[in-house]
Amino acid sequence: MADMVSIPHSQPQQHQFNPYTENGGTILAIAGADFSVIAGDTRQSEGYSIQTRYAPKVFRLTDKAVLAVNGFAADGNMFVKKVRQRLEWYRHAHAKDMPIRAIARLIQTMLYSRRFFPYYVYNILGGIEEDGTGAVYSFDPVGSYEREACRAAGAAQSLVQPFLDNQIYFKNQTPAPGTSFPGHLSLSTVLSLVIDSFTSATERHIEVGDGLEMYIVLAKNSPSIQSLRDIRGMSELTATEDGERVFVVRRDLKKD
Amino acid sequence: MSIAAQTDSCPRQPIVTGTSVLALKYKDGVMMAADNLASYGSLARFKDIQRLHPVGKYTVIGAGGDMSDFQYIQKFLEQLIIEEFTSQDGHDLGPAQIHEYLSQVMYSRRSKINPLWNSLLVGGFKDGKSFLSYVDLLGTTYSATTLATGFGAYLAQPILRKEVEGRENELTEEEAIRIMESCMKVLYYRDARSLDKYQLAVITADGVKISESRHLSTTWSFAEGIRGYGAQTQ
Amino acid sequence: MFLTRSEYDRGVNTFSPEGRLFQVEYAIEAIKLGSTTVGIKTPDGVILGVEKRVQSPLLEASSIEKIMEIDNHLGCAMSGLTADARTMIDHARVTAQNHAFTYDERIKVESVTQAVCDLALRFGESVHDEEAMMSRPFGVALLIAGIDEHGPQLFHTDPSGTFVRYEAKAIGSGSEAAQSELQDKWHKQMTLKEAQVLTLRVLKQVMEEKLDQHNVQLAQVTKDKGFEILDEARLQAVIEEM
Repeated sequence: MADMVSIPHSQPQQHQFNPYTENGGTILAIAGADFSVIAGDTRQSEGYSIQTRYAPKVFRLTDKAVLAVNGFAADGNMFVKKVRQRLEWYRHAHAKDMPIRAIARLIQTMLYSRRFFPYYVYNILGGIEEDGTGAVYSFDPVGSYEREACRAAGAAQSLVQPFLDNQIYFKNQTPAPGTSFPGHLSLSTVLSLVIDSFTSATERHIEVGDGLEMYIVLAKNSPSIQSLRDIRGMSELTATEDGERVFVVRRDLKKD
Repeated sequence: MSIAAQTDSCPRQPIVTGTSVLALKYKDGVMMAADNLASYGSLARFKDIQRLHPVGKYTVIGAGGDMSDFQYIQKFLEQLIIEEFTSQDGHDLGPAQIHEYLSQVMYSRRSKINPLWNSLLVGGFKDGKSFLSYVDLLGTTYSATTLATGFGAYLAQPILRKEVEGRENELTEEEAIRIMESCMKVLYYRDARSLDKYQLAVITADGVKISESRHLSTTWSFAEGIRGYGAQTQ
Repeated sequence: MFLTRSEYDRGVNTFSPEGRLFQVEYAIEAIKLGSTTVGIKTPDGVILGVEKRVQSPLLEASSIEKIMEIDNHLGCAMSGLTADARTMIDHARVTAQNHAFTYDERIKVESVTQAVCDLALRFGESVHDEEAMMSRPFGVALLIAGIDEHGPQLFHTDPSGTFVRYEAKAIGSGSEAAQSELQDKWHKQMTLKEAQVLTLRVLKQVMEEKLDQHNVQLAQVTKDKGFEILDEARLQAVIEEM
């Protein structure tokens, strides 16, 4: 018996191949009353090396859903590819775009189906719900998910989330006597918070920087369109007429 | 461990390896560089191997890492090109398609915990557009106007970025050659697994050209003056 | 009708020279032997009604099951070889549950109908000399009723795997008379109550026995309550209103 146990150890153990790595970067999404903002930086890194200054982490799935993916880039890209494939199959089978709530559930089942060899990615899904409200869904790598008002994930999550808790949920703040906090923030306020989050994360985290991509999804006929008028570096990505609208804003972040 | 078990699915280690590959975009297309050395551990084992390999009419792949895995990649890409050619359907694979295919192979092999142990650069020029992308044993991909694998990522990439970023559309071939040469020289001075014999590949509207082996002239006279490091100076 | 039998009668994989699949056509014929089944769509929901043929006074009428639930928002009535419908409804139920599990939403009526029709078309499928999973077409037609984001809908499926949407549809032995009666009496703004009564009137016309709460069954799919089979008391109330 003792012999049998000792045999496997008789050969020096080869270093194990690690199928994962971390590629840095941070993503963030905030839901408003009738809009949703989904953002991510564009730096991809490994260790102390910047691999590229432009590798998108945020993807438009439909006119009402945008997915941000952060973690191991190869898994992330493959995951987005598979989600897109499922969305197309769904469109062919059911003659409609998948609602965001259904995409969220689909992502859970896709992530959990790889429970014992997970996609090493944190997903944040943002967009517009069937009832026209702004939505953010966040996921862990094996599929636990919930709908929230805001979420940061990735390298600078620990820097950004507390800031969001304070500025969006008004944690550790008390309203001035006789006043109360707003239920939902305006689009212009949210965009400012997102930009500030990323410039700050860029200052303090070495894996964040180079570029910022902010996707804005507006509900049908949303008046929030007004606050997009004077936004620098914006372009529209909407594919279908008279429904939800998708915009992207690209900004530079510090490259050091 | 049996041979069968090793080749089947057990993770292996690279045996005969190549070091850095460099690449940049310039005015007319893409230029790539890699030396001619295949090392066996610290032994400079083969000093005349080619690590830049043409694939089809528009693409060159350059490889660092395990050279036998690289030869296997060359073999199946050649097969892919032949299949595509024989179907005569008006398609011919460009660099973007080859890179995507290669990425899928690399990612699915890593997912089987049986990776092809390489870092690869795919450079090309087709339909008036330059293409330059990276893929490695994990299936990680990215593209940029300058890329470097292995030690090149630390030693050459900063130089390449400084020289090239923002000047991709004005750099001439002569300037690109000069930049590549200076980077290869830095690598030869600092990377113990490198060689002073290397090749350049240019991929432009005129197609693929891979140069004869070129020699780096270096001086080592400064070494005479070095008397050890730190406190020991005598 | 089919006096001259031909060699094309047998195979489900072989077209006749005129381009027909006889076995499928015979299967459609089989439905015309089945009990009459009626479906009516209204703006508030869909009504399904079936005739139960109680062949013996010793038979427990309540054990005849010709209307079944697929999901909370989907119901189904059948005519023909009702045993075949079990397989189809099983498939429909699994499809609906799978959809709810994967997408956290109710499957559309058309999608579940499509899934059933995909199954209906899988007769004669076999690889090489393997035993085919299904040796013949299903001998049953379904009326699939449901409510989704497009409102109340009624679909008809037959053994050829074809499905069509209807405002009102009758299948089974009395279907010809029943369908023309529906065409006469159906109108767009029917209330659920009116549709219940019309369903029973149409059934009564084509039934040999006298209609009562034991030899018919009514079911409905509404937005508020989903699928429900009307119990004897409610059925009795509708009969009295006829």
